Amino acid sequence: MKKELRLTVNGQPYELSIKPNTLLVEVLRTHLGLTGTKKACQSSSCGVCTILLNGMAVKSCSILALQAEGAEIMTVEGLAKGEKLHPLQKAFLDYGAFQCGFCTPGMLASAKAFLDENPKPTEEQIREAIDGNICRCTGYNSIIRAMAAVANGEYKEAK
Amino acid sequence: MSDKYAVISKSHSKIDGPAKVTGSAKYAFDMVFPNMLYGKILRSPHPHAKILKVDTSRAEKMIGVKAIVTGKDTLGRKNGVWRRFPELCDEEILCREKVRYIGDPVAAVAAVDEDTAEAALDLIDVEYEPLLAVFDPLEAMKEGAPQLHEHAERNINSTRRIEWGDVSEAFEKCDYIREEQFHTSSQAHLCMETHGAVADFGHDGKLTVWTSTQANYYIQVLLAGMLGLREGDVRVIKPPSGGGFGSKFELDSAQFCSSLLSQKLRRPVKIILTREEEFIATKRKTPMYYYVKMGAKKDGTLLAKEVRVVTEGGAYTGMGATALYLTGFYSCLPYKWAHYRYDGYRVYTNTAPTSALRGFGAPQAYFAGESMIDMLAADMKMDPLEIRRKNAVTPNYEVPGQAYIQSCGLSECYAAIEKHIKERGKLPRNRGMGIGNYAFMSGGIFNWFNTPYAFSAAMVKINIDGKVDLFTGACDTGQGSDTTLAMICAEELGVHLEDIRVHAEDTDLGPADLGSWGSRETLMNGNAVKMAAADAKRQLLEFAYAKMKPNVVYDLDIKDHKIYMVDRPERSISYFEIVQDAIRGKEGQTIIGRGHYTPHRKGMVSPAWGFGVQAVEVEVDPETGKVKLIEIVTAHDCGQVINPVAVIGQVEGATMLAAGGAFCEDQPMDNGKILNPSIGDYKVLRSVDMPKTVGIEVDTYEPEGPFGAKEAGEGLTSPTAGAMANAVYNAVGVRIKDLPITPEKVLMALKEKEKGKKRK
Amino acid sequence: MINEFEYFAPKTLKEALLLLDQYREDYKIIAGGQSLLIMMRQGLIQPQHLIDIHGISELDYITPDGKKGLRIGALTTHRTIEKSPVIKKSFGVLAEMENRLASIQTRNWGSVGGNLCHGDPAGDLAPVLIALNATLTTAGINGERNMLVEDFFLDYFETALEHGELLTEIQVPAIPPNTGTAYTKFNVIESDMATVGVAVSMTLASKDGKCKDARIVLGNAAPKPIRAKRAEELLRGKKMTDRLLKEAGKIASTEGDPISDIHASAEYRQELIKALVKQVGTEAFARAKKP
Repeated sequence: MKKELRLTVNGQPYELSIKPNTLLVEVLRTHLGLTGTKKACQSSSCGVCTILLNGMAVKSCSILALQAEGAEIMTVEGLAKGEKLHPLQKAFLDYGAFQCGFCTPGMLASAKAFLDENPKPTEEQIREAIDGNICRCTGYNSIIRAMAAVANGEYKEAK
Repeated sequence: MSDKYAVISKSHSKIDGPAKVTGSAKYAFDMVFPNMLYGKILRSPHPHAKILKVDTSRAEKMIGVKAIVTGKDTLGRKNGVWRRFPELCDEEILCREKVRYIGDPVAAVAAVDEDTAEAALDLIDVEYEPLLAVFDPLEAMKEGAPQLHEHAERNINSTRRIEWGDVSEAFEKCDYIREEQFHTSSQAHLCMETHGAVADFGHDGKLTVWTSTQANYYIQVLLAGMLGLREGDVRVIKPPSGGGFGSKFELDSAQFCSSLLSQKLRRPVKIILTREEEFIATKRKTPMYYYVKMGAKKDGTLLAKEVRVVTEGGAYTGMGATALYLTGFYSCLPYKWAHYRYDGYRVYTNTAPTSALRGFGAPQAYFAGESMIDMLAADMKMDPLEIRRKNAVTPNYEVPGQAYIQSCGLSECYAAIEKHIKERGKLPRNRGMGIGNYAFMSGGIFNWFNTPYAFSAAMVKINIDGKVDLFTGACDTGQGSDTTLAMICAEELGVHLEDIRVHAEDTDLGPADLGSWGSRETLMNGNAVKMAAADAKRQLLEFAYAKMKPNVVYDLDIKDHKIYMVDRPERSISYFEIVQDAIRGKEGQTIIGRGHYTPHRKGMVSPAWGFGVQAVEVEVDPETGKVKLIEIVTAHDCGQVINPVAVIGQVEGATMLAAGGAFCEDQPMDNGKILNPSIGDYKVLRSVDMPKTVGIEVDTYEPEGPFGAKEAGEGLTSPTAGAMANAVYNAVGVRIKDLPITPEKVLMALKEKEKGKKRK
Repeated sequence: MINEFEYFAPKTLKEALLLLDQYREDYKIIAGGQSLLIMMRQGLIQPQHLIDIHGISELDYITPDGKKGLRIGALTTHRTIEKSPVIKKSFGVLAEMENRLASIQTRNWGSVGGNLCHGDPAGDLAPVLIALNATLTTAGINGERNMLVEDFFLDYFETALEHGELLTEIQVPAIPPNTGTAYTKFNVIESDMATVGVAVSMTLASKDGKCKDARIVLGNAAPKPIRAKRAEELLRGKKMTDRLLKEAGKIASTEGDPISDIHASAEYRQELIKALVKQVGTEAFARAKKP
């Protein structure tokens, strides 16, 4: 028996009717067509499916969609404003903080959640912030450099 | 150096970046087509068995199931990458009579959704007759061991000898001799995007496949072969791909089964492997038994090396035979051995097939070799850096009868590492630094795939507005070849990176290319692209010469959209203007430049070599054996750096993968069953585990490469395991010769050492 | 593939207990689901009725209880514990342990109650709570039960939670003066589950005095978290020395019954217990001495 689900994704409210055994990642990718968020394991270990739920980084493959009732979700598609990239996206581009790009949407979500809460972090804290996201290509250090650059104000927008 | 070039040698953010950081890049994993079905594969639970009967009738009746294929639905052909040697083309992919490893495909289902396809697998009844199985290559080589393939006596799949001089005679002359045994472990590629394909076989008899791959040309040819199609009727498109590392340049079960199902149904069929399938049923790193004997003279000259290798081949050949060859060659590098002999045996076992993993036999060779050099140096009371420096290959050295090395920056690398070691000074207790060095190929010369085409080719098309389309066959799986090649094109043509649009993913549009493996794209494809850009440039310059009429002794060139006189750069005209002239002059045709590259007369291995020296610093807890990575410093020579930020990415990424293989990644098995087919149980470095990494680029110029560039992607995985083993030894005095270097092994070795001391 | 089930999302504890009573025969409770969903996705657990208590906000709290200590609602997330100023100040070892538990993503959604009810002997939370002498409350339609956290675990993934019951609260008693508590787990990858884990709480008779009480808890050394009571006995009433702690480690390593698996052999786990009890005991002692 399907259940109603109301949630906001990237600023857009949605009303869906879904089976209770649906995972949040499926709602995002299949029902809403937001394929930016990926899946890469079936054991809740890789972090590739990370999104922001009420500002917190969570693994969308490990949450029943119905638990997101009333939540505000942000996926990678919600970072840029039209053609204007988010500072983190610009930093990732400049610092080569991605290669194959498959982990990148989840990585950006973790990075954003962390920096929103910790605007002046140490390098160690930045490193811990993405510990739940596996990257097989970059070796992580470039991602940390990109995040540090944003935290240091390198991408501050002129008012 | 940076002013010499307008585009290369400066960092450029990758051209596929905006799509990736906004989530708009569509991977094969994301693709959805109208009328598409989803497929799943049924795999053998037995390591070795006859297939007596496959009954799909129950599954066929399930609502939502549209088709099921088994080995009987294939042409019965055997797939193999080593097409020059038919006996090494031994993999049916969808098995007909026999299964040879746990995970070997037996049937595939196409259904309306993944869950239905998955449920249908349970309704396929397969009757097996289990056969005796063998898992270790040393056991498999013995008389009377179960035979996997009829043609391979004692399961010996492939052998290789490489030899010069006379090692037996030479050992007589040595003052120091050391003989040791090593074992290297399995490793999974762990691409974040698992293997997958969407196949669409049209009613016109043509097949299109979208797939995550390192070599769309290989997949095109191999699929055509297996399905009995003409190559031209198979089109393989590589969307942005989530990693390869050596696992995605052979025809895989997702590609083959989805194509077969689509051929039957004439509808698109998508198969994406689960992470568990990825661990158990895709090619993995080749585990090797290494027997090494080394001899040196008391003045420190390395004289003779004898190597015998037995590799665990797994159930099929794939590219595994290449790993056997390369490991034997890397074992002689990077030193000038006057006498060398390598005997390699690849042996079939009832385990998941083994093949290439970034480094392709080099990490294994250098683990054994670099560990041994330290051991020999200790016997000789010689400094480990000195013994290496004294014997290292130098520019313009010929590996006797095998390969010619032109540029070689090893001595600069040693100098850089020596400086680093001095700066670190004396390390505290339980800390140690170990070094390892390497030489690595920039693409292979061997053509066992038997391609009739140039190894790399490219086409450059200049349009009326000056924008350039670059057609290549290079497959970018994240390493950045699209950007690197666009940069080379822009540099040669004198335009900006933004003017280039790369078309590299489609076999219909691009030239054949051997693919992204063996670190070949920068050099081989780079040369092809440079040649194509030069060809287009020459055509433009014809019109420029006519317009500018410089004295015949003066040359024109293009830089930053200006066509200028090289000796009088203030005299220039606009590139855009000449483009228009040229197109009009050629009766309205776009300007097309063509290029290609195949190494000729460069020996049997590779046309150019990358080098490096790495220092790994560790801290060992002697109470638990835990090895903590403190810092990894790599001085490396990749010739002219094309895109600095990409090279840094290669250094750091390779380090993470190599360090993982050295101390925590492994695939323990029980009777052929991989016991840790999930992330979590399979240990991989995360950000907190990653040490500080420093990359030092050493300046050289490689004449064979485009603008002097050569490889920087795979070689960097080679030295880490050996350097780490040396570091652990220097920290706490125990040597681990069996990868991975786990805390348990270290602690047990420390306890043995204690016992040994007490006995004395 | 997750099976199809009937889904309920009670908003109050009372509603939840009624549902548990109604579906006594076949239900599963989901809180954050960070452990449960992995098993459901693999088809290992296939409940007909899923009772989602995630929305019961009345069970999400950290309340200092005067001199008695702290009360923590079962639905409090790991992340809330990790960042709670109250906990950082007075029960720092809990915040430290949470900082190393799984990943930030898991901690943001997973609950402490769910973690305990999962009953994984390799879990980090249980050894620390046991070292802190914590208790917990379970509630059913007919009333509540209280017990030591130590007594909550029965076997691998098996707890004392009965059908129709919900874990509602964890009580952490105020820490006695001159007490230091520390926890370390051994792993190769920093965020991995414990190969073995050791929590030690040491109370000194006075700041530089002898050990008045010691609690040594071993994680992943047995089917459930256990106390190394003989090792504790060795320390009680004595002055701490390196040698004594080393000896305690040796004894503790014989008290568990660790398994051999792909991550470590039983022998190696015993060596780890030896080493960790000494290392963690040393840290607990140092903390106990601090003003």
